[in-house]
Amino acid sequence: MSADGDPKAELRVIARTDPPRSKLNDSIVVLSAGAAALLGVVFAVSLLAGGPMVLYGGALAGGLLLLAVAVRRYFTDRFPDIEAVEPREIPSPDDTDKPLSDVAPLGPRRSLLKRALIAAGGVFGLSLLAPVTSLGPAPGRTFTTTAWARGVRLVTTDGDPVRPGDVAAGGIATIWPEGAIGQERSSVLLLRLSVEPVPPTVLEWVIADFLVAYSKVCTHAGCPVALYRQQDNALFCPCHQSTFNAVAGAVPTFGPAARPLPQLPLGLDEEGYLVALSDFVEPVGPALPRA
Amino acid sequence: MTPLFALLFDSLDERLKLRHPSRKVANKVFPHNWSFLLGEVALFSLVVLVATGVFLTMFYRPSTAPVVYHGSLELYDGTTLPGAFESILRLSHDVPGGLLFRRIHRAASHLFIAASVLHMLRILFTGAFRRPREVNYLLGLGLITLAFVAGFTGYSLPYDSLAGTGIRIAYSELLSFPVVGDRVAFWVFGGDFPTGDVIPRFFVFHVMIVPALIIGAVSVHLLLVGRQRHTQFPTHGVDGHAFIVGKPLWPAQFAESATLILWIGGLLTASAVFVPWSDISLLGPYVPGEVGNNAQPDWFMFWIDGALRIFPPLEFSVLGLMTVSGPFVAGIVLPGMVFTGLALYPFLERKVYGLRGEWHVLTNPLDIPLRAAVSLGTFSFVLLLSAAATSDILSRLSGISIEDVIWIFRVACLLGPPVLAAGIYRYSTKRLRSRGLVVATDEQQATSQAGGHGAVPAAVTPPARDPSPVSGGE
Ligand code: FES
Repeated sequence: MSADGDPKAELRVIARTDPPRSKLNDSIVVLSAGAAALLGVVFAVSLLAGGPMVLYGGALAGGLLLLAVAVRRYFTDRFPDIEAVEPREIPSPDDTDKPLSDVAPLGPRRSLLKRALIAAGGVFGLSLLAPVTSLGPAPGRTFTTTAWARGVRLVTTDGDPVRPGDVAAGGIATIWPEGAIGQERSSVLLLRLSVEPVPPTVLEWVIADFLVAYSKVCTHAGCPVALYRQQDNALFCPCHQSTFNAVAGAVPTFGPAARPLPQLPLGLDEEGYLVALSDFVEPVGPALPRA
Repeated sequence: MTPLFALLFDSLDERLKLRHPSRKVANKVFPHNWSFLLGEVALFSLVVLVATGVFLTMFYRPSTAPVVYHGSLELYDGTTLPGAFESILRLSHDVPGGLLFRRIHRAASHLFIAASVLHMLRILFTGAFRRPREVNYLLGLGLITLAFVAGFTGYSLPYDSLAGTGIRIAYSELLSFPVVGDRVAFWVFGGDFPTGDVIPRFFVFHVMIVPALIIGAVSVHLLLVGRQRHTQFPTHGVDGHAFIVGKPLWPAQFAESATLILWIGGLLTASAVFVPWSDISLLGPYVPGEVGNNAQPDWFMFWIDGALRIFPPLEFSVLGLMTVSGPFVAGIVLPGMVFTGLALYPFLERKVYGLRGEWHVLTNPLDIPLRAAVSLGTFSFVLLLSAAATSDILSRLSGISIEDVIWIFRVACLLGPPVLAAGIYRYSTKRLRSRGLVVATDEQQATSQAGGHGAVPAAVTPPARDPSPVSGGE
């Protein structure tokens, strides 16, 4: 087939401007292209020679930009500026009510067969989704328990056990269960309050009148509740600014968190170190998908 | 054509019959307007992302297991770090060109997402989504979603302190799905955070699944543009419904695209030399249980972060079977509604105004009050939510308490967008009426109405078979 036979392949020009012949432009093209090539070499050599990033990075950037100039000038100076028009495709009407294919199935009752095939394909396809469930283990009790249990010692991030005297007044420490340092869901804030806690803080779990421990996992979206504002005894989550009242059971006082930070039942072992009396009574962290 | 190229082409043409199709492609006409370049900017950023990304992949180690860093960055020499973090330090400070390419990759990711979003807004404002282009519009929305996923997983891979916090919140978002959340979170993360396979998983998402989907969807997106052709702005004396006016692919459009990709490459590289895009050595590695004071996501996630911040405390159980919580409503339902609204808008506009036929000529959004209202309302809502993600910084800078700042944003997000939408709806309705116009229900009517304000005279409809599409107006 001759290309010229297809009217859609022809360019229909409606306006044309030829750029003036200019020696200056030609030299701009040559110079910028040459400089770009040179900068390309500078890039390669300085990279190979272990030169500073400013040098090879700058050379690469400069080379690309100069190349852009060269290309631009070449095209604007050496080609006519053409404005053209093209008809939008109009669907040819003779094809519209023909079937997609000229070969049709034979005989009667084909809709039943078709339906059977489609239904089987659908059921089979759905079954193929089963391996998705292999992508992760069953959560089991992951979200309802932590590493805390009766007698588990409180340790610092360095693994040292903690005595009540180790936390200064107004002090705060990030605490882990012994043997589970870095297991985020079990992280705890140990605080020595400057005023005596009041309910809903569970007072039996407060040591030496002022020492109290709350889960460090924000009940909003699970960020570590990292900040303690001493003047109003507020625990503060830096992610979305949930604020909890450390004196009164860590109930949320502002921000998007809806539940208090669970309190860790605190006790002392025979050697005088702080231990948990049990796991948290309430689930820690963000809301769980099922009640 | 140089003789060598001609020889090569001829021998290929003999076998593949290339002359006719390439001639057809070279003569394709492209309408010209700067805003049409936004999609191209996104495309070329994607090219830069793939090129630099391949280089980075050679060095990145998808692991959180501790390793000791030995290298030229003294601050971390001899320290134990998560494998992923350590590999990026090595890439950045001990591989020639590594830091440059990593920064270019990062800068290109910002440009990719920004250009995609602006491109989408251009399509929305001017009505390029109308029949027959709804499919491509939906594909574009899908692409923006994929771009967000690519951006978020890429932000997470260094496993620095910000990344760890971001991953933690994403984990809670998955967990917040009523009934199935814990399972979904485990499927995506391969187990509990942070001890699961999250970094290897995110690595697979970021370098394989999401890029494959993006490249596939972009290819279809471009094929559809090629098949359906561009829309165009009203052009003096041209029936834009039946004809495209512009410049041919060769040489004008080719020259423009070639220049553009070189410009983008050059500017991204220059920015990488001077701007320390996400310097992870300053952030430090992620340490479980710790979080920095400025826990902030990338800018394109600000609106979701802002929604999480200002949404009031909420947690209730439905029939004792499932829990609906604030993070679910603010972080999943709300963004889902925004995207669903955007996806349904083309069909809504067509229904509300009883539009008929196909549309190829772009319109001023003020000519279609519903579109002006919906796009301004949505846009201002997302912008206000994004601003709310800086509530702590605003509070610190202004001295207003964080509580008051949050309340201001709550009120602003609830009232601002509806008021703006209603305002622009009234304004554009009045504007139409004062010109004696109605919302056109088909493109012919729209074109002849447009003649009313002088810029575009009534369309010239050429004879059916031998079209001479241009009026003698010049
Ligand atoms: S995670 Fe603490 S406020 Fe959102």
